[in-house]
Formats: sequence, C-alpha cells, structure tokens
Amino acid sequence: MTTREAFLQRVRQAVVEGNRLTAAPPMPERGRTGYQGAGADPVPRFCQELRNAGGVAHEAKSSEHARAIVRELVSTKSARKLLLSRGGIVERLELPRLLRDMGSEVLIADALPASTKDAFFQADLGISNVAYLVAETGTVVVATSAITPPSPLGKGVEGEGRRVGADPRSISLLPPVHIAVAQRNQILPDLFDLFDLFSPIGAKPQFPPSCLTLITGPSKTGDIELKLVTGVHGPGEVHVVICD
Amino acid sequence: MNYAKHEHHDFAGASAQALTDPPLQAALARLTDILMAGNRRSYAALADSSALRDHAKRIKEHALAHLDRYLEELEQTVTKRGGKVHWAATAEDARQIVVNIARQAGCKKAVKSKSMTSEEIHLNPALEKAGVEVTETDFGEFIIQIAGERPSHLVAPAVHHTRESIARVMSHHLQESLPDDARSLAMTGRRVLREKFYQADLGITGANFVVAQTGTIVLVTNEGNGRLTTTCPRVHVAIAGIEKVIPRFSDLPVFLKLLARGATGQTLSVYTTIITGARQPGEMDGPEEFHLVLLDNGRSKILGSPFRESLQCIRCGACLNACPVYRRIGGHAYGGVYSGPIGSILTPLYDSVSLNPDLPHASSLCGACQAACPVKINIPHMLIGLRQMQHRYKPARLEDLAYAAWKEVLRRPWLYRLSLRFAKVFLRLFAQDGWLRRLPGPGSGWTQVRDFPAPAKRTFRDRWKELNS
Repeated sequence: MTTREAFLQRVRQAVVEGNRLTAAPPMPERGRTGYQGAGADPVPRFCQELRNAGGVAHEAKSSEHARAIVRELVSTKSARKLLLSRGGIVERLELPRLLRDMGSEVLIADALPASTKDAFFQADLGISNVAYLVAETGTVVVATSAITPPSPLGKGVEGEGRRVGADPRSISLLPPVHIAVAQRNQILPDLFDLFDLFSPIGAKPQFPPSCLTLITGPSKTGDIELKLVTGVHGPGEVHVVICD
Repeated sequence: MNYAKHEHHDFAGASAQALTDPPLQAALARLTDILMAGNRRSYAALADSSALRDHAKRIKEHALAHLDRYLEELEQTVTKRGGKVHWAATAEDARQIVVNIARQAGCKKAVKSKSMTSEEIHLNPALEKAGVEVTETDFGEFIIQIAGERPSHLVAPAVHHTRESIARVMSHHLQESLPDDARSLAMTGRRVLREKFYQADLGITGANFVVAQTGTIVLVTNEGNGRLTTTCPRVHVAIAGIEKVIPRFSDLPVFLKLLARGATGQTLSVYTTIITGARQPGEMDGPEEFHLVLLDNGRSKILGSPFRESLQCIRCGACLNACPVYRRIGGHAYGGVYSGPIGSILTPLYDSVSLNPDLPHASSLCGACQAACPVKINIPHMLIGLRQMQHRYKPARLEDLAYAAWKEVLRRPWLYRLSLRFAKVFLRLFAQDGWLRRLPGPGSGWTQVRDFPAPAKRTFRDRWKELNS
C-alpha cells in the first residue's frame, strides 16, 4: 500500500468510527444567514468601513477630479518611482501619462522580465485597479487574472478595456503606499456576494484566480505591547479612489 | 523566562512563576481585555451572529464526517491547477517532505509566515540541519525566533515581551543599538525582513482554510507577511492539518466573517490571501511551484474518537482570551505549542494524555471558552472527557475510596448529619477570625491559593429547624 493509500485508509476508517459517535449532518445550506448587505447605497458604507480599518476613501465626482486626487497624493508622498497596473481604470484615466508628465518614473507592470524584481522592491508607490470592492468590510479585492463572473454585476466591469482585475500581487504589496482606483459599480454589498460569483447555485463552479487578495486597510501589527503600528510589511497607507 | 522551552514540564511551577511576573501579568490583562472586548462587540454588531456560528459549525461537522471524500477531491483540484499534494502521516514525514522539496528545488533560504502547524512539527531545526536558512517573518514570531523562545498566544505570539525587551533582543541580534519605541522597532523589522524576502527562494506557510472544491488555500494576516511569503520566493510550500479542509469555495466567507471578529474584533483581517495553485501563464509574480503538505500527526485518531469536535477549531484564540486561567498564567505555562482551553485538549490528544496530566484540569469549567468560540466548541465537555480518560489510565485509589465513602454517607441522612457536626467542630479548630487560612494534609491544596470561610457556629439545619418550630 502506498503512503497515500495508507493515509486515506486511516482517515476513511476514522470517519466511519467517528460517525457512529457524533453528528454527521448533510451539507448545510446557508440561505440568507449572516448576510449583512450595505443598504440602498453601498458607497457610504464602504467608505465608513475603510476608514474604520485605517484606510482613506476618496470619492471622485469626475475623471478629472480622480486624476487630481491621484496627482495630489503622488506629490504629497514625494513618490518618485511608481508601479502601475496595465489597463482598466488606471489606463482609462490616463494615469501613466499624467504621472510621467509630473516627472515621476512610471513602471507599467505587465509581462516584464524577471530583472524587474529590483524595480518592484524599490517602488515608492503602487497604483492598481481592483476586481471588486466589498462594502460590508471596506475591502479592496485584487485578482491576478480577470474574473468573468456569470453575473450581471460583472458585465459593466468586464466590458471596459481588457483584463480588468488582472493585477500582479506586488503592486498592492511591496511599495509603502497603495492607491486603488475603482468604479462605483464594482462595489459588492456583502462578502458573500464576492464568493458566490465563483460558485453560483446550480452552475458549475469555476477556479478562482491563482491569487485573490482581500485588502482591508493598511498593514498592521500589534506585536509590540499592543501598540498599533502600520506598514510593518505591506503598505502603511491605503487610498481608494472611487470614480463614477 | 526559562519556562518557555520545555514540552513536558511542571505546569504548577510554570504557572506560579507566571503569576509572580508583573510585566507578563500586565501584558496578559491588557491583551485579553482588548481582544475579548472586540470579540463581544463584533459578535453583537453582526446580524444573526449566533445563527452564522451554528452554520459554520455544521459545515465543519459535515466536512469532518466526509473528510476522506473531501481529501480526494482536494488532491484532484490541486493537481488540476498544477500544484502537488503530499501526504504526511507524522511530524517526521512532514519534515522529511519539506526538506526534500527544498533539496529538489535547490532552495537555500526560506521565509516563513506564521504557522502553528509548522511549530507543531518542529520544522525549523530540520530545515536548518539540511542547510536551509529559515526566517520567521511575522513580527512577533521573528522576535520569538531570535530570542529562542516559543509563541505564547495564538494570534499574539510575543505578548510576553515588552518594548524594552524587544529592543534588547533585536539590538543583540542586529549588533546595533536600537531605540525602544514601537514604530522604529517595527520599521527596523520591515527593513531587515524585506531583505530576507528579497533573497528567499522558498516560502513556507500554514493554511487557515483549505477548499476541496477548488484546491484553494487561504492565509489570513494583518501584517502582510503571508502575502510576501507567497509572492517573492519561487517555491511555495503550504502545510495544513487535514481538519482545515472545508467543502466549497462559497463556505469560505462564513468562516472569514467569524474568524477576525472572534480573534480581534476586526470585521476582516487586513489581508486575506486566497491562493489557488502556482503562478499561471502570463502572470508576472508569484511562485512557480506550489506544494500542499497534508498533515495527519494524530488527527485521524481524534477524528474517530469522541473528541472529534476539537478538530473544528479555527485557531482564532478567542477561548484563550476568555479563559480566567489563561488570562493569569499565559501561554508558556501550558508547555505545548497550543495553549489555553483548546490547547488543554489538543496537547494531550496530539501528544499524550498521560504525559500531560495537569492540562485537562487547568480550567474551572466555567464555559467562557465555549461562549467565545466562533464555532461554539464544547470545550468544557471535552475537558471532562479527558479527565475521565486519565482516570481510566491511572485510577486514583485514595480518591476512589473517598468518593465511595462519601456516597455511603449521602445515602444515610443520620450519618450525613453526624459528619456535618464533626466537620464543623474539626474545621473550627483551624479557624482564625472566621477564616480558614491553612488546612493540614490533603486540605492544604485548597488553602494554598485561597482562604476558606470557617463553618458557622450553628448549622443551617439547626437554624431551619428552629425557624419552623
């Protein structure tokens, strides 16, 4: 018997023995249990929750306003080396050109060779698209490949540009400041809504991207006398710019 | 603090030492108060939190009752996404598997994200013996590693340290004099560990959850070291106990909604990293290899026993924070990798019931642990079960005799009355100002840590009789 077979055989036997002693219920269905939702307009709820988590929400009234917000953030942080996502709202707002015109060094993360590792580690600020935002928890959802959800929510997002939701992991991780740009229609009310996109009831579940990251505020540690310090590993500042 | 280091140790002695350590007492009080307040506040703020906790429990019950099936499904999905599953029956197997992966991939420098499972299998010494440098990257774990200690809390491993002692440990390790304010210590940690991430070729993590349906593992961190560990090195090895498997991707948010709320009172931890396989074609970062080591190490034995419910634990630490015993003695006094009420169950079960005789008794059975648990594990019930087991292994003749005698007394009202009278007279011999401060013989255990009120001059029975006459 192989190691694997012996391993599984032990588990099989334990399952049978234990099932005689304790509860072995069928797969429970969730229904609406624990669904929090976010009320009629999810934007204020998102902004409030993000603030609670230590992040900063910026509501942009127009594309021009969004550009102004980003420009302002980059200049107050005196960020020189910027890491930007390819495509999506980052490109639609023409942020690469805007920031290059300001004199910043802009690196567009795409299929770059491995030698760019140094550039990733040296960046001062990362600007990413998002796959979704979650209002219930103030969370930014970043995915390494495009999500094509069989849901009406996805359509507005997917129709725009190419590969929306395909952001490398490093952009929202390595630089000390992270700016996420998003549209209002990318906000999901509840955490359940996000996960249900991948296994809708009745449909065949699809594999999620190789890495789906839920970011809720800046990096935190309380390991030193429980005093909260931000930015110990991930970005110490998280800004979310929400465009109409 | 040398009580940090031994597995089979003197529980009573270590507890007594912890009680006379004022900085530790202050840190424990602060930590557990803050975290428990968060736990209560956030359960209260979450609509249907009790129903959601019941639902989470049923998912775990279901998963464990069909674990063989889900493990096979998991193997298929992980493989489909280009990952490799390894089966580790024992801690030794698991160490060997990880060492072999490192060897085959030619890895020399490993970074680790906080993982209780890797603590359980004592992975670091095995890797170092094989010539792989290992760095713990959770800030608290890093401190513990360079100080040569063990974690003392599930989510706050370095809670027994003060900022001065952290500055001392780090200054010594880095051979430079560091100021002792929290921000600059954390930023020094960032600088040092960032360099380690840059150099690392192997990333080792645990897994908070493993999804059978999609071959997904989930890491929950607040610092982001879990993300760095699974982004920078070219090989990722995740080590997970088999009890971490849940059936479906859509079951994940049920646990995510409860985990951080139970642990710290956050709605969600800062980073939830949901990993399905290695880097896919066209992606520009992330590991090229993904390995999942599934660990038994005694779990299947528990799965087939009356203690199966203990496998539902999601390692949030809420029972530690709620426990009146943990809150005073801290994690090291328990002597094992897992501490607090859940540790008092897991250590004897994983390790040995007879070698950990004190742990099942390190509880007043008040039930605060169960009330705080996101999946409502009936911890007191299992502690009693362990006590029964201990008794079966090692009967206490004198105690049995005492209980047998007491039973005979209770069956005879006249004898009961007589014994009360006798006890009253006897105990009052030791009374001072209405209190018993020191009793002889077997009674000394009681009065060692608490005073006992002396029996009243007249018994309740006498007064009752008088009132009714």
